[in-house]
Amino acid sequence: MIESVLGLGVGFQHALQPLHLGMIALGLVIGILAGALPGITMLNSIVLVLPFTYLMGIVPALLLMIGVYCGGVFGGSITGILFNIPGDPMNVPTTWEGYQLSRQGRTQYALGLAIMSSAVGGLVSALFLAFFAPPFARFALTLSSVEFFSVVVFGLAGVSVLNQSSLPAALISLFAGMFLGTIGTEAQYGVERFVFGVPFLTTGVDFVTVLIGLFAIGEVLEQIVTTPPGLTAPRGQERTVPQLPLRDLWPLRWPLARGTLVGIAVGGLAGAGATVSSFVSYGLEKQFSKTPELFGRGHAGALVASESSVNGSTGGAMIHLLTLGIPGSAATAVMMGAFLIHGIQPGPLLFTKQPEQVYTLFAGMILANVLMVAFGFLAAMCFATLMRVPAPILNTLIVVFCFIGAFALRNDMADVWLTMLFGVIGFFMRRYDLPIPPLVMGVILGPMAEQYFLTSMVAHGNDLTVFVTRPVSAVILGLAVLLVLAPSLRRLRRGAA
Amino acid sequence: MGSHARVAALLAGVLGSGLLFASTWPLDALVPRGRLGPGFWPRLVLIGLALACLLRLREERRVRSGDAASAGVLPPVSGSRLALGLACILAYVIAAPQVGFALATAAFVAAFMVVAGARRVPGIAATALLGTVILLYTFIKLVYLPFPKGAGPFERVTLALYRALGIF
Repeated sequence: MIESVLGLGVGFQHALQPLHLGMIALGLVIGILAGALPGITMLNSIVLVLPFTYLMGIVPALLLMIGVYCGGVFGGSITGILFNIPGDPMNVPTTWEGYQLSRQGRTQYALGLAIMSSAVGGLVSALFLAFFAPPFARFALTLSSVEFFSVVVFGLAGVSVLNQSSLPAALISLFAGMFLGTIGTEAQYGVERFVFGVPFLTTGVDFVTVLIGLFAIGEVLEQIVTTPPGLTAPRGQERTVPQLPLRDLWPLRWPLARGTLVGIAVGGLAGAGATVSSFVSYGLEKQFSKTPELFGRGHAGALVASESSVNGSTGGAMIHLLTLGIPGSAATAVMMGAFLIHGIQPGPLLFTKQPEQVYTLFAGMILANVLMVAFGFLAAMCFATLMRVPAPILNTLIVVFCFIGAFALRNDMADVWLTMLFGVIGFFMRRYDLPIPPLVMGVILGPMAEQYFLTSMVAHGNDLTVFVTRPVSAVILGLAVLLVLAPSLRRLRRGAA
Repeated sequence: MGSHARVAALLAGVLGSGLLFASTWPLDALVPRGRLGPGFWPRLVLIGLALACLLRLREERRVRSGDAASAGVLPPVSGSRLALGLACILAYVIAAPQVGFALATAAFVAAFMVVAGARRVPGIAATALLGTVILLYTFIKLVYLPFPKGAGPFERVTLALYRALGIF
């Protein structure tokens, strides 16, 4: 604990430097604006700022991305509450309740609740990360490739909660992503797999090209083919000054606490993230609420719970990335790319090798969530004007930024080709009802699973039982099985009743 | 998308997985006996992919035989705009190495804005030109990204443009 306090002290010394504070503020502005603009997700905004970080030092680069991350997960709530347009899938539950409150003439109240609950959720989550990540990292050092494999499997099992509408569709996406992860030169034997004589493929498919293509280009294509010609972005109604609802927040302390805890817990599951946590939190709140019949009609408790869980998930998702080197979500996967570009390998050794940078990151997250109150209020006030950016300009510039982002990966046009190809694939996946998040998780986690599995097999003489005889691994795998079976078990129970 | 096309796509998924599965056996040629080779993991993944496609096929059959409505209703697609949008993107990626990033980007921004719904010519021209200049300054002068300069005469045009803008 003392170590964490001292570390945070050093972290704050670095993070409070004008340049670093400026980077957090800039990141928050970019994140909130990008998150609020429909079509630009928080993930897109992190991807889009990635090329700008190439020339920065590691600390400003990471603080900029932290700002974008914290601001981005909140930004979509503003447009959701004002115009019934969630900026991101994770803001959908907030939109359900917030827009209804807005229609009842309580826009200021709804915006204020969303801003405050996001800030509280994010702040608690960042503190949790700062104080509990080091013991978690120490614990992680005692684990081997067997346990890492189980954690990755748990992340892959998280796919089962990503898309409840069709598990087979989610599995197709997942395995397709895992297959993409096998393309290229295999690490253990140096054998080329599925290269088919294409030299570029020997180095494999970079997951950033998959991310940019599927999310950004696919979304742009979807928008241009479904928007009538001449139609620009939706316009705001009037400038709205949100209330600071400190007194209103106290009666909602339990939904706030539940939402934050769910956010931290679900965000901490590799493969879940903010979208899952917001829906889980919304559902859970309905179980706890004394007025469940008011859900969908402007329920303040539901808004607070889902919104706090979205920002609460940020710290949880970072724990996996920082302590195990495993991204807990697509956003942290892009952030992992930023770490690697700057020569930092996230994982258990990060805390012993580069503790200053880790604690600066924690301090940055805490500051980002405090500053978000001010920036959230400013953004909510100004957003009516910013919503007037014409959609054609926005969509066109997104494609150009995707070109630049992909090219910058290896200064190779082949990455641009791959990105555009995945963009087209992303568009058709939306049309074929194939969920995109499992594919992304497959591309990211698949190669990790293979590496840990084969290392475990070499170390334990191909003994598969090692995954269930080691206690930690057995528990994690058991939880993964429960996660997969939970929907079926619930259906069975309902059937029996 | 039609139900028959969906079934065909899923069957293609099963077939494709099978063909890729067959291509993994030579990967293990040099692996000592008793060790898992580089073909093991892809085989596992491809089996999973084929099984998932079969499960989805079964689900598809249930939906077709039952009276359950198809999930998720997406807004209708403008086929011509999709074709034009894809053509613009394709042309951009093909043209960038040939005519250079600067010229290709300016042309792409103008063309794609029109496809995306913009109609005001001054706005389109201003966005294409100013946007490209800002991008060039940001990513070449500040970030040093070696964007394609084009081939033959286009390379000379690009270099002249960079000099005129003070980038080189």
